[in-house]
Amino acid sequence: MSEQIAFWMLSAIAVLGALVAVRKRNLIHGVFALMIFFAALSGLFLLLLAEFIAAVQILVYIGAVGILLLFAIMLTERVTGDDGRRMTSRGWFWGLVVAAAVFVILLLPAIQELPPPEAAQAIDPSVKELGHKLMNPYVVTLEVLALLLTAALIGAVTAAQGVRIPKEEDSSE
Amino acid sequence: MSLDLIRDILIATVPLLVIFPTLFAFTTWLERKALARIQNRVGPNKVGVPLTRYGGRFSLFGLGQPLADGIKMLFKENIVPRDADRLFHLLAPILALIPAMLVLCFLPLEFPWTESLLPVQAFLLDGAVIFFFAITGLNTLAIFMAGWASHNKYSLLGGMRAIAQMISYEIPLVLSAVVVVMMVGSLNAAEIANAQADWNWFVFTPWGLAAFVIFFIASLAEINRSPFDLPEAESEIIAGYFTEYSGFKFALFFLGEYIAMFAISGLAVTLFLGGGAGPGVAALPWLSTVWFIAKIFALIAVMIWLRGTLPRLRVDQLMGFAWKFLLPLSILNIIVAGFAWHAQQQASGILKAIIWVACLLILYATAKGLDQLNRPNVRPREYKYAE
Repeated sequence: MSEQIAFWMLSAIAVLGALVAVRKRNLIHGVFALMIFFAALSGLFLLLLAEFIAAVQILVYIGAVGILLLFAIMLTERVTGDDGRRMTSRGWFWGLVVAAAVFVILLLPAIQELPPPEAAQAIDPSVKELGHKLMNPYVVTLEVLALLLTAALIGAVTAAQGVRIPKEEDSSE
Repeated sequence: MSLDLIRDILIATVPLLVIFPTLFAFTTWLERKALARIQNRVGPNKVGVPLTRYGGRFSLFGLGQPLADGIKMLFKENIVPRDADRLFHLLAPILALIPAMLVLCFLPLEFPWTESLLPVQAFLLDGAVIFFFAITGLNTLAIFMAGWASHNKYSLLGGMRAIAQMISYEIPLVLSAVVVVMMVGSLNAAEIANAQADWNWFVFTPWGLAAFVIFFIASLAEINRSPFDLPEAESEIIAGYFTEYSGFKFALFFLGEYIAMFAISGLAVTLFLGGGAGPGVAALPWLSTVWFIAKIFALIAVMIWLRGTLPRLRVDQLMGFAWKFLLPLSILNIIVAGFAWHAQQQASGILKAIIWVACLLILYATAKGLDQLNRPNVRPREYKYAE
């Protein structure tokens, strides 16, 4: 019963957060609404007894992605936007149709196929199990990912450094 | 949800919400007294037994000062700048306090009255340590929120400084904790504390000592303590992110900062200083709580001492120190710890001692070498927009 209440509350917060994040003209408000969405999602993971995923959700999405978004926004002009103007776009009808189609064709059958949810049982040491899985069958994937991220990091540093122009020898005087 | 569960949750959490704010009040007094001693002053010494006519006569070393401060803060006017974002201006101090309070649950503080509880304590969670780091990181957001919502140049500068500093120092902080997690093989805070029973504290091993020093320095930066208090540097940017805060909102920021101080010191105690272990715990189990809090206060005493003696870092020094010194050292520390652990599995006696000394020498030499490498880079700052 209490899980049900928590589930519906968290879901409502998540949906509202996502809506506000999309609708707000003020970018900073939008980012914070997005973070509320991430936090609610983390709560949902916690309800499923996936503690590690919940912690990583906060650590990565709020702690890293959200703050990066804030950094990026601070580098742009007109942060606050104007709240007065309504957000409108021309393709809203087809967007609605596609969203409804995804719901009816993909999500609805998936929900109906599932057996009724049972009370979740604590998976013994889930973090340890996850660690062993990452180190044994998936170690190559992990290392390839690490390589990719390192390459991205080096690329970012090189791009940020820019082209070095050699100093001209006292040309001004 | 049964009533028993609700009762047990309350018994587990309410003491944290009572004890730590009380300790906060005491710590403000302690800090003011200690700083005064360092600066050859007296410090608060007038306010005594509050709310009585004997207040001044029995001054009790000014122990009533925190209460007087609290009442003053409560009655001060709440000023919000005209152009401020009113909602965020209100939310920021609250958001600064919540994560700091929340992470207290992840400290393995076993109060005597929690013996008969259902296992509701958060430190029994399988990923308690990682949760701790995740939630402490939220503090950054509150500081940025305060800086941005105030609509003040200096506030925003303080907020941006806070973000840059916390992102940089979170990496060595987590990497130094990884060593302990690796040795114990668990992220569970209670298990980590239990693994250090019988004086097997991690601070007594070479890699543990290095990790502890890195952790302590990085935690100072993480909670904006001096010498890393750049986000609130009063000589440069007024008061940083809380320039536009007054009254009780300011007090909430203050409270959040000190609670975060307790929390991160508590994690350092859990990871490196044996948790609640200490003499006499076997006979009297409640002593473990006393030891835990005593160790937290030992670390806080060092923080106060550092605040009284060290000057503030420059921004470029701050970044250089995190990325060029702490980060390589903590990565090397993980490698050294891994090798040493495997070598110790086979070795015994004299060989073990040799491994220890070798580890200590490697870590010391690396620290020295990194220091030397960074030294030529330390030169007077080049100003871009000033002469």
